[in-house]
Amino acid sequence: MNPFSAISAVVSSGLKAQSYRLQLVSENLANADTHGYRRKLVSFDKARDAASGADVVKVSRVMLDPAKGEEIFDPSHPLANENGYVVMSNVNMLTEIADAREATRSYEAGLQIFRQAREMYAGLIDILRR
Amino acid sequence: MLTDLNIFAIAGAKARHAAARQGVIAQNVANADTPGYRARDLEPFEKTLQRIGSANTTVSPRIVEVHSLGAGSPNGNTVSIEDEMMRAGAAVRDHEIATTIYAKALTMMRTALGGRR
Repeated sequence: MNPFSAISAVVSSGLKAQSYRLQLVSENLANADTHGYRRKLVSFDKARDAASGADVVKVSRVMLDPAKGEEIFDPSHPLANENGYVVMSNVNMLTEIADAREATRSYEAGLQIFRQAREMYAGLIDILRR
Repeated sequence: MLTDLNIFAIAGAKARHAAARQGVIAQNVANADTPGYRARDLEPFEKTLQRIGSANTTVSPRIVEVHSLGAGSPNGNTVSIEDEMMRAGAAVRDHEIATTIYAKALTMMRTALGGRR
């Protein structure tokens, strides 16, 4: 198979996986103040692309972080338990931002690989033009 | 030169090698955050040439595992994005060299045949 179409398949799988990860990060951040919210975690897995035989990446599964959210004493809150505590979300802003940075970096690296592959392909077509 | 068209075969093989290498690098970058993924690379083109001899240039090069210093992460992934970008740059350069040699050899043949350059 043409290596350049294999590259497109591999890179697009990577971009999809990373943008899904970014989506989960933004969901977590949006729900940072939702009571009882548990942050979503994503894990990647490699998969064999049948057409090109290359190792593409896929989202293996989305899990909920089992860590307990912080309990805050607020007896007047409608969601407070019998002892007057409210469970907050277990989202840590710093972790989410770090995760988003890593996803963005991997996304940009994938884009760069695609640009370079296109450049190589253009070089081949230039020979045909002569 | 005109009796020996090996230069086209070798330049073509080098271009194919560079494209295949870019494909392996793309797999590394896509799996940069996959737990347990080991970074890979192709053996250098020179090595492939030595192994198979220049007569047969269609043999595909071997895939080898790379060990970048300090790239191992606790989840078993050994991809270093920086290293991959360096390697991708090298692959593009190699491809450009190969296509330029091919094009120049073509021009030389045209000149020898008395055609316009």
